[in-house]
Amino acid sequence: MIRIRAPQEIAAGLFLIALASFVFWQTDDLTVGTMRALGPGMMPRALATACGLCGGALVILSFLKDGASLEHWSIRGPLFILGAAIVFGLAIRPLGLFVAGPAAVIIGSLAARDSRFVESILFAAVMTTFCWLLFKVLLSLPIPVAPWLLGY
Amino acid sequence: MDSFIGNLELGFSTALSLQNIALCFAGCLIGTLVGILPGVGPIATIAILLPLTFQVDPIGALIMLAGIYYGAQYGGSTTAILVNIPGEATSVVTTLDGHQMARNGRAGIALGIAAIGSFFAGTVATLVIAALGVPLTRLALVFGPAEYFSLMVLGLAFAVVLARGSILRAGAVIFIGLLLATVGTDLQTGDERLTLGMVDLMDGIDFAVLAMGLFGFAEILRNLDNPETRDVVQAKIGKLLPSKADFKQAALPVVRGTLLGGALGILPGNGAVLGPFASYTLEKKISRTPRRFGNGAIEGVAGPESANNAGAQTAFIPLLTLGIPPNAVMALMVGAMTIHGIIPGPQVMTKTPGLFWGMIASMWLGNLMLLIINLPLIGLWVRLLKVPYRLMFPAILLFCCIGIYSINNDPSDVLLTAFFGFAGYAFYRFGFEPAPLLLGFVLGKLMEEKLRQALILSRGDFGTFVTSPVSAGLLLLAVLVIVVAIIPTVRKGREEAFQE
Amino acid sequence: MKQALAVVAVATATLTAATAATSTARAQNYPTRPITMIVPFAAGGPTDVTARIVGENMSKTLAQQIVIENVTGAGGTTGITRGAQAAPNGYTIMMGHMGTHGAAPALYPKLRYDPTKDFEPVGMAAGTPILIVARKDYPAKDLKEFIAVLKTQQDKANEAHAGVGSVSFTTCTMFNVMIGVKPTRVPYTGTGPVINDMIAGKVDYACDQIVNLVPQIQAGNIRAYAIATPERSPALPEVPTTKEAGLPDYQVSAWNAVFAPKNTPKPVVEKLNAALVKALDDPGTRKRLLDLGGVLPEGEARTSAWLGEYVAQEVARWTPILKAGGAVQADSG
Repeated sequence: MIRIRAPQEIAAGLFLIALASFVFWQTDDLTVGTMRALGPGMMPRALATACGLCGGALVILSFLKDGASLEHWSIRGPLFILGAAIVFGLAIRPLGLFVAGPAAVIIGSLAARDSRFVESILFAAVMTTFCWLLFKVLLSLPIPVAPWLLGY
Repeated sequence: MDSFIGNLELGFSTALSLQNIALCFAGCLIGTLVGILPGVGPIATIAILLPLTFQVDPIGALIMLAGIYYGAQYGGSTTAILVNIPGEATSVVTTLDGHQMARNGRAGIALGIAAIGSFFAGTVATLVIAALGVPLTRLALVFGPAEYFSLMVLGLAFAVVLARGSILRAGAVIFIGLLLATVGTDLQTGDERLTLGMVDLMDGIDFAVLAMGLFGFAEILRNLDNPETRDVVQAKIGKLLPSKADFKQAALPVVRGTLLGGALGILPGNGAVLGPFASYTLEKKISRTPRRFGNGAIEGVAGPESANNAGAQTAFIPLLTLGIPPNAVMALMVGAMTIHGIIPGPQVMTKTPGLFWGMIASMWLGNLMLLIINLPLIGLWVRLLKVPYRLMFPAILLFCCIGIYSINNDPSDVLLTAFFGFAGYAFYRFGFEPAPLLLGFVLGKLMEEKLRQALILSRGDFGTFVTSPVSAGLLLLAVLVIVVAIIPTVRKGREEAFQE
Repeated sequence: MKQALAVVAVATATLTAATAATSTARAQNYPTRPITMIVPFAAGGPTDVTARIVGENMSKTLAQQIVIENVTGAGGTTGITRGAQAAPNGYTIMMGHMGTHGAAPALYPKLRYDPTKDFEPVGMAAGTPILIVARKDYPAKDLKEFIAVLKTQQDKANEAHAGVGSVSFTTCTMFNVMIGVKPTRVPYTGTGPVINDMIAGKVDYACDQIVNLVPQIQAGNIRAYAIATPERSPALPEVPTTKEAGLPDYQVSAWNAVFAPKNTPKPVVEKLNAALVKALDDPGTRKRLLDLGGVLPEGEARTSAWLGEYVAQEVARWTPILKAGGAVQADSG
């Protein structure tokens, strides 16, 4: 039985191969052109090929050399941090900074195991006010504050 | 020589008026702030504050706006060192060793060297602009598409050297960066490439979006996974300012960085972004202990930071002498000048010498002010590191979100950043480093554009890259750099083979 | 529980009624808060500068700040799409442009707005004349010779433009089609690099807005063959018009005009138009715009109605030209 000596390598290699395939699929309708007259599809495909080859090399090496093992992917972190950013993105225009800000802070802080709920809420209020003063009042950036309440 | 001193006198007398000093200070302060805040960049700020400058005379307005621009360079280094988030494309390199220094409890020293090195670079650059501004512009005109392409290839060679891990992985990551640079609308045909039908991607991926995702969000995710390491960082504070020994180590890298950055900053089309990368590569290669690089080597901060600032100053040369802005911020300055009734061009120097020399003098003043502003702040920043991480990361998260939104007032930018945050986390799990990817991304756009332009102009003849002496020289250098980078790996491989 | 729901329902109803009432009241006293003007190009460019100069004066007349918001992308269409979809209450307007409201339907098959239907035209702001320029040692004395040389060179000539969809691209497409020449077109990102390479002599010619070119022509770094307006520009008095130089049909200006989303109430549009006209009459604003080489509308050309017709004419003009110039993308399905 062939043993995978470097799980991280093979995972990385497979990822690169998958990426390369994705690019080839997406650029299917672009003209590649010739070496003398590069078309829009040439660069992406050439680069994807390079990525794929690197991926292949990594896969082969993962059988030949020892390497790091693949560690466990946590769910909590990505879910709450990226979730907070997504909520912010969706809420900022319709609901404004006064809603999106605290939402991002509170949801984000849930990603840490040692966060405390009341502390998060207070901190959210403080941070939102600070950001409003900094970005809106001082720097005059056109960020919606509370369109549903104040109109801007 | 007389006229040189005479010009400097004129410049300083203009720059030292009370109003202009105040405006310079205001600009530097705002610029530092803007540089520190992730996402919010000098472009957005200058655009917003432009109306305020209508009340002032043109020279004063330009002094303030310029202050914002190079102030942002100082500020961008601060976040790079403290929280591993590069504020600008030019601060990416600073994250490599700067943040490691912070982790080793040497944050104050890193910040101090960055500020002092930048000041030195700024002073030298100002003198260079004053003395050699016009002849240097002619140099910039030598760089056509073929030469530029070769310069970019050299830049990619630097990226390979920059990498900490295996060359194979570094190469793969650089290719991904180059690939991401192709996303958008094709330059020549207008076809959409890899945009997945999303309007947001039609103009390509924004650098800040990629940087915030790969560095900002992913860093938070990384730290959340390793609570033990991040708490240890907080405990160590260490000294606040560099010691004599630190200065000795950093002195020559600062000089070299200044020269490299200053030279590259003149090139129109954002050549300045290569400065820090070139400096880092140089320092790593000539160091007797290259293993320290990537783990907190002070040369890895001193050189790139000086290059960074020197480039930011010399980027004004094509603007002030030719009227051609070398990057987006300078293009904004052109707009500012135009609104104030000054049409930038070759005659600005002769028709309005007060403006030209006044700006140059105030640039030096600005550097001085930034040093004075930033050094005392180091104590504040270092204390900020002591804030418990469970409070710090939501704050960073919020700043990043607002900052990203403010770039183009587009919520999909924030969503895209979240995607790259996830990608950054995946990279971390797969053992890929993000820094070479960013370099590949930054170079990729320019590289492909110049490659295709060169081939169009030469009607498909690849020889155009070697017939030009500058271009051939750069390509040769690139090959050398890569070979020198690969040799140790090959040697190690042979040793291992012998052992088996 | 039922009580709670009732309270919530009443509260929501009251809030909605209050908001509706205040917004109608607001319409009478327009404007009561800052107005956002979307500029679909990067800050510092000619459209942005025009918007800021005009906007500054309009702010004084309307007693409310006009805040410029740059929303760039896709040749300006991203910003205009955003503006077209904004609430038609007069608090979001936009600075449209020859590209976004003239050439866009031909260049972007998936365009999400119709320049003739989805907007309330407010008024023309300023136009920037287009110049035909070439590198300084190009072997032709004047426009007639230039055209003759180009006809023999055909694809040996290198024409530079700032990217598909840019002003330099569309205007030169028209020029090439008009004189029957198919040069090799070299794409750049932005006008700066175009000018740079032209000064260095690496490309042969281009058609671009006067703003970017005046200082280079005055310094002798670039030569100008003609200006595509009926009269010579005071900024460059030695450059002949296309009429004088022998190509009278080539009349092009990169115009900038203010638009509001469709269904914006008429009184609001009229107020905006009045403020715009006042800005165009203000001596300070006029001087700034003219110094840029801008051409200001007079008389009837300042009305909203005129702008509406002009946009329709422009769309009709550009579509066949761009199709003939091979610039239209085939539907990639």
